[in-house]
This record gives sequence, C-alpha cells and structure tokens, in this order.
Amino acid sequence: MLTINLFNGLVYGALLIIMSSGLALIYGLRRVVNFAHGALYMLGAYIGYSVATHSNFWVALLVAPLVMAVVGALLDRYGFRLLQDREPLNVMLVTFGLLLILEDLVVAIWGKANYSLFTPELLNFSINLAGHDLPAYRIGVIAVGAAVAVGLTLWLRLSRMGLFVRAASTDPITTSMQGVNTDRISAAVVGLGSALAGLAGVVAGPFLSLSPHMSSDVLIDSFVVVVIGGLGSLAGAFIAALLLGMMQAIGAVYLPEVSVLLPFVFMIAILIWKPSGLAGSRT
Amino acid sequence: MTLSRMGLWTLLAIAFGFGIVNLTPSTALLSVFTQAVVFAIFALGVGVLLRQNGLVSFGHALFFGAAGYGMGVILALEAMPAEAAIAVVLLGIGAAAFLIGLVIVRVPGIAFGMLTLAIGQMVYLLATRARGLTGGSDGMSVNWPATLFGFSQSALLKPSTLFLIAWVLMVVVTLALTLILRTRFGSITEAIRDNEERARFIGITTTVPRAAVFALSAMVTAVAGLLSTLNSGFVSPENLHWSLSGITLVMVVVGGSKRLVGPLVGAMVYVIFKDLLGEHATYSMAPFGAALIAVIVFSPHGIVGLFEQLRNRLRHGPAAERKLP
Repeated sequence: MLTINLFNGLVYGALLIIMSSGLALIYGLRRVVNFAHGALYMLGAYIGYSVATHSNFWVALLVAPLVMAVVGALLDRYGFRLLQDREPLNVMLVTFGLLLILEDLVVAIWGKANYSLFTPELLNFSINLAGHDLPAYRIGVIAVGAAVAVGLTLWLRLSRMGLFVRAASTDPITTSMQGVNTDRISAAVVGLGSALAGLAGVVAGPFLSLSPHMSSDVLIDSFVVVVIGGLGSLAGAFIAALLLGMMQAIGAVYLPEVSVLLPFVFMIAILIWKPSGLAGSRT
Repeated sequence: MTLSRMGLWTLLAIAFGFGIVNLTPSTALLSVFTQAVVFAIFALGVGVLLRQNGLVSFGHALFFGAAGYGMGVILALEAMPAEAAIAVVLLGIGAAAFLIGLVIVRVPGIAFGMLTLAIGQMVYLLATRARGLTGGSDGMSVNWPATLFGFSQSALLKPSTLFLIAWVLMVVVTLALTLILRTRFGSITEAIRDNEERARFIGITTTVPRAAVFALSAMVTAVAGLLSTLNSGFVSPENLHWSLSGITLVMVVVGGSKRLVGPLVGAMVYVIFKDLLGEHATYSMAPFGAALIAVIVFSPHGIVGLFEQLRNRLRHGPAAERKLP
C-alpha cells in the first residue's frame, strides 16, 4: 500500500516538476506570477487530446508543447514585454484575466464534458517491481520529469543561452548593457515555460481526466511548489515538487482525513520559517 | 475633506440609497443591487488591505465564508441570541485575523498572497469534508430567528429592506474606515506600506499596525459575509473558495485601489454587468477577463482613477494633470 502510494507520489511530483519549472523560469526572468500557466496546461491537454484522437499520442506529445511554445512567445512579446514597467500586481491580474478567457475558450471549443487520453499502446503494460505491478506509463512520466529537471539544469549551467538566461534573471538591465538581447531571451524563456505547461498537460492526460476545472488544482499546487522552493529558483522547485508529491502520498496512507491540507500546512510552515522559500534569496 | 463635508456626503449617500429603492421598478432588479452592495462591502475589505498595507490577499473569501458558517453554527446550537452572535462572529473573526496577521504580514509581496491563498484553501477543504454540523460540501442553512434587533424576519427579508440594510451598512463601513484612516493609525500604516525599513528607523513597530489593518479588512469582509447569509439564508463552501477571493480582487483593481470608493464601484459594475450578461452568455467569465485586462492596460488606477483624471483635466486643463498618490 505504502509502496504504491510512494510511487504515485513520485509520479505526481514529476508532473509538478514539469509544471512548476515553467512557472519558476518565467518568474525568474519576468517577475510575473503567471496564473495563465494553468490555462496553458489545460490548453495543452485538450490540444493533445484532439491531436491524439486524430493521429496518436506521440504526435500529440510533440505538437501540443510546440503550439504552446508559440503561444508563450506571443504572450511575452505582446503581453509581458509591453507591461514590464507596470506594478507586478497588475501584471499578475492580467494573467488572471487571461486564465478566465482561456478557460472559457476551452469550454467553447471542447465543451464541458470530461475526456481522458488513452494510454499509448507502447506503454500499456505493467512492470512488476518488488511485488507491485507498476504501470509503465507512470514510470514514463517519472522519466519525463527527471529528463526535464536534468535537461533544464544542464541547459542553464552549461549553454551560452543558459548563461544569458541566468544573467538576465539576476539583472536584466546590466545584461542588456553587455549586449545581450534580453527581449529575445525573455520570449524564448516564456515560450519554453509555456511549452513545459503544454507538455505537462499532455503527460497528465492519461492519468488525470480532462475537464474545464483541471487547471485549478494543479495550478495551486504548482504555486505552492514554486513558493516553497523560493520564487524563481529551479532547484528549489524540483525539491519542493518531490516533497509535495511524497507528502501527499504518505499523507494518503497515514492521515487520509487531512492529506489534502498537507501541502498548505507545509507551505505555511516553510514561509513562516523562511519567507523567501527553501532556496530563495530574493522575494 | 472636512468632517462636515464628510457628513454631508454620508447623508447624500444614504438618501441616494432610498432613491434607488423607490425608483427601481422590479424586486428582481433590487435583489441584484443588494448582491452588488454585499460584494461592494466584501471588496472594500480586500481593497483596504491593498490600499493601506500594499498587500494582495487571495484568501479573503475565508472571512466571507467564515462569518456565514460562524453565524450558522451558533444559531444551530442555539448558544446565544442572534444579536450577540453577530457581535461574537465579527469580533472573533477580527481577533483570529489579527493573530494570523501577526504571523503572515511579515512575508513580503507575492508570497503573502500565496499564504492567504493557502490558508483560505485549507479552510475551504476542511469545510467540504466536514460532516455533521456544517453539512460538508452541501453547505448549511442559516436559521435566522423570527425577530432580529426588534424587527420581524418577514419585514427584514423584504427586498427593499434588505437592500437598505446593506446600503446603509456599506455607507457606514466606508465612513468608519475613512475616519479610522484619517487618524495617526492611518498615517503610520501608510508609512510602513511605503517603506517598512524607514518606518522602523523612526521608531514605529511595524508588525502590529499591519496586522491590525489585516484584522480590520477581515472584519469588513465578515460584515459582507453576514449580509450574504441574511440575504440567502444559506452558506456553502463556495463562499470560501479562492476563486471568489480572486474575483473580488479583480473588482478592487478594476474599480481602483487608491481610493476607498474604488472597490465599491468595481463590485457594483461587476455584479450588474454579470447580471446583464448572464442571460445571454453561457461562458460569462471571458468578458470579465477581457475587461480586466483592458482596465489594467489602459487605466492602471481603475475606473475611479479614470474619472479623477477626467475631472482634473476639466478643471485645470490638460497641463495640470495631477498624479494620484
């Protein structure tokens, strides 16, 4: 019982890693708390659903993030860049407005019915591990989460572009004075973050059902993760995502009554102890 | 504004409320107005926190719903008369918010918003899961007694009376907040909002006043929660949900957060437009999303800010555009 729960906790943690790394990247660079991230996740899932029913899951896994990347780059170019001198609260509420619009757009196109993505044939089997049958698809989700975490870390640490992103996150003005095109960097990063939200949507499709309310829960959990980890910190978000996933898994076994409260209790405890979050140096 | 002018405006505002009651043709429209006024008080609570502390709450629905639940539970247990229960609920929520505030106002910026969101969602989830007294996700009915403050229930629940109660309460709460914020307490909180470090340098303790503002804003929102249950006789976990807090924040910003009337205007515009749209549009949130974005992009100080800009331009010409504080 506990083992299978821990496994599922790891799966949810992996999903949160994919979601929250996008949020953290965008916050790090643009200082925007992006409520629309939840809508992009939902849009990714629904686009993935439509693509998957017309061709197959693997095409959807490619197409939905690509579409979201374009949406994200446009969002940065015609949204965040124009609003970069405004108060953070106002920009945050603009993204909240976008969330409302996009949620209605999804209902208008796909209706209010619940859908579910089919698990792809290739991964539709179970692996027996220490006496438990673990669905291969969920192991795949964990692998995707790990790949995102490792890939993003390597990209930020080792590539030239990653260096620019880190520099622009620390001080955009000085960075642009050094000759870095920070606007292009921002568009790329917001595009990448949005693509990750789309990826999370498709990946979640086969095990969380698609509904017009699907964005809310995952969005709030991702906010909790990003705030616990320290706003804008990727490493903090990875750790917090895994902790949150595990905590819910263990809570479901030992404290079933209050397991849904655990993330919030955890967040309140962390923020009171360290207001800038686990790995946060800035607020 | 001098005190006598303030008194004049208060009387005018109350008279305006009586005018609305007499000129509104249908009771259905009047109950929409009542709802608008209830939300106006709710938004006033969120707005005063933003204006005075510079803090954004994503969890004020907590106080809105808690007031209803508190009232419902006390009345169900028949622990005390309803009049005393109202006082207990308001003071209880104020005290609880003060204690919560002492801890959370030290967390800066966005993280504060997320904390309020977390605390609010915790209570929401508890309310949906709790069985017995609060009825879980079905909600509970609030059984108001036959007479309240000497008025019979049937007289109180007439749409026109209900509107007037809400309207007068809104005017009184706004007046009270204006008076409170004119005192030294108001200036101190403004100083802390603008620069906490400097405020501390000149010898102001910074946590307690901000927690007090938080408590004050919670109590204002609790007044709205009480009015809402008086209006509907019902309270459900929906009253606690964060989306309600989010929508109210939208009202505040759309109305304008630099003035106390901003949230009032925002809430009324929101509720009335929602009612106008509600019959036609199935997907009625998108227009609000679009309106929200338009207001923030084109008028960062909201509807009230826009009007003040226009008024100043009319009075002093385009050159003398006064910046809002």
